[in-house]
Amino acid sequence: MEKIMEFFEFKQCVSLLKSTGKKAKNLRELRDAIAVVSDESIFHHTYQYFLKGHILEYTNDFAHWAGESLEERALAERLSNIDPYAFKNIDELRQELLNVIDIYLENFPEPREAMIGDEFYFNETITLTFPVGIRVKNLAEFLIAVKYIDAAAIYYHFYEARVRLGVDDFSKWIEDSLDKKDLSEKIRAIDPFMHSIEGIRDHIIETVEKDVRTEMEAIER
Amino acid sequence: MITQFSGISPKGDLILLHKLGEKLNNRSFLHINSTRAGGGVAEILHRMIPILKDLGIDARWEVIEGDERFFDITKKIHNSLQGNFENITEDMWQHHYEVNRRNAERLNLDADAVLIHDPQPAPLIEFSKSGRWIWRCHIDVSHPLKEVCDYLLRYCGKYDAAIFSVAKFARAMGIDEFIIPPSIDPISEKNRELTGEEISETLNKFQIPHDRPMILQVSRFDRFKDPLGVIKAYRLVKKYNDCILILAGSPATDDPEGEIVLKEVQDYASDDPDIHILLLPPFSDKDINALQRAATVVLQESLKEGFGLTVSEAMWKGKPVIGGATGGIPLQIIHGVTGFLVHSIEGAAFRIRQFLNNPEMAHRMGEKGREYVRNNFLITKQIRDYLSVWYAIENKGRSVLEL
Repeated sequence: MEKIMEFFEFKQCVSLLKSTGKKAKNLRELRDAIAVVSDESIFHHTYQYFLKGHILEYTNDFAHWAGESLEERALAERLSNIDPYAFKNIDELRQELLNVIDIYLENFPEPREAMIGDEFYFNETITLTFPVGIRVKNLAEFLIAVKYIDAAAIYYHFYEARVRLGVDDFSKWIEDSLDKKDLSEKIRAIDPFMHSIEGIRDHIIETVEKDVRTEMEAIER
Repeated sequence: MITQFSGISPKGDLILLHKLGEKLNNRSFLHINSTRAGGGVAEILHRMIPILKDLGIDARWEVIEGDERFFDITKKIHNSLQGNFENITEDMWQHHYEVNRRNAERLNLDADAVLIHDPQPAPLIEFSKSGRWIWRCHIDVSHPLKEVCDYLLRYCGKYDAAIFSVAKFARAMGIDEFIIPPSIDPISEKNRELTGEEISETLNKFQIPHDRPMILQVSRFDRFKDPLGVIKAYRLVKKYNDCILILAGSPATDDPEGEIVLKEVQDYASDDPDIHILLLPPFSDKDINALQRAATVVLQESLKEGFGLTVSEAMWKGKPVIGGATGGIPLQIIHGVTGFLVHSIEGAAFRIRQFLNNPEMAHRMGEKGREYVRNNFLITKQIRDYLSVWYAIENKGRSVLEL
């Protein structure tokens, strides 16, 4: 029996920024606050980094602040190397952030202070998710949608999905509903850390387009 | 009204606005501030109320009334929240409260959500009857005078939530504090698309030549905007690149220092025919728009700044921008991506030369800047966020809300 095709429904999320009221002016204060701030705040400063359109010098806000405001480049590099998706939960990620900072503080116990006004402000977010009214049923429709959809939808399905499902939504749908394991693996191989959201969009388009072209050119026997 | 933003604002923002409009349909949303005309808050409310109504929300805007003494006191409160020393006596606070009490008798404060703008009407919370009350702080309170801030927090701490423009302005108030930056309206006279003819009209009116690259700063003649620094940077650039400088600002009638600074700027510019100092009357939005669109590079070399929305205005027009790394400017300029942040006159001069000598880079950053503004600083996003705050307060305790 032929597999029932499931639609892919594009959704997106927006984040409403909230202040936690906590701030840090040096590395010790940063460390102490990371130990106690809400899970939502850790989530925001790590997973949601890519929503902000920074240059890809770092991979989370803590690394960004250590590098740009404290000018502790080595620490910034080490913090950037932490992959939040490698942890089962926020507490494990929090612990790894603390470990990296503690080791650094052992070697460099007197790091400098940030300039006034350049302190680290701990925020968190409330996320609103909603469907954007676009549903696709095959790869060609998917390709067109990915080309023109808001970047926030790419973020929701490619980054945020990893927290929900462990993998991105696109490759999951391509594997589960379209039965295209190879293509799914190619999408999964795109490293979320190495690209901006627009870069991710370009890679997905390139990968899917190649597959669609091959399929169009194939001769059925 | 909202359909005018199709193809301009991000589609997701418009979809969410409609969804929130459905959720909050026919519910009342009252805004209260202290002036109907003049200033950024009134400007944005004039635009926002019709959009809210168009979304099906019963939006109202009320303005508190006060005597001369009241506004003198609130000006002092405003200044001290921005860090200037002012003596606010108990008697003055009492008058502040009393004027608000009289306004509470006069105004209909019944609404499902009430957004109180800035400190002037903050004591109205004492007279709330129903609904969610939110205090919106538009000013830079990162280094306030402690006593004044503490006194005001007696009122503000009673609200359901507060909203600040920048994370570092937020205080530990014990209530939910949201961060929502201010915004520009892309279809207003100051930001709408202009024809080449309209731009030429403005340039001809001010006798500005079109034949060379134009460096522009739009700001009040205020030392914190460093107009002399801008002229110094231009002179450093001029050694290498032929260009003209435009300093455009309105005469600051409420700022006694404005005239002195203007005189200093005029003296310092001396008789350089390539420096154009323009005194624009109030409501010169179209001329400002035209100047920004005609500019090759736009500066906002502030030493101190609230948010500095002129940066977003220029970015929206696809212009390469250079800004002082202060206030809200670093939130708009991602260094090296949507423009350059500078910390000195020499830094500004160097970046201007980079832009003038690399038009392709200037174009690329200008385009990135426009997209950044589209996603972060348009009025539709601000309204989206206000409604989201209201919706989030009604669903308190949940960090993910599905619509």
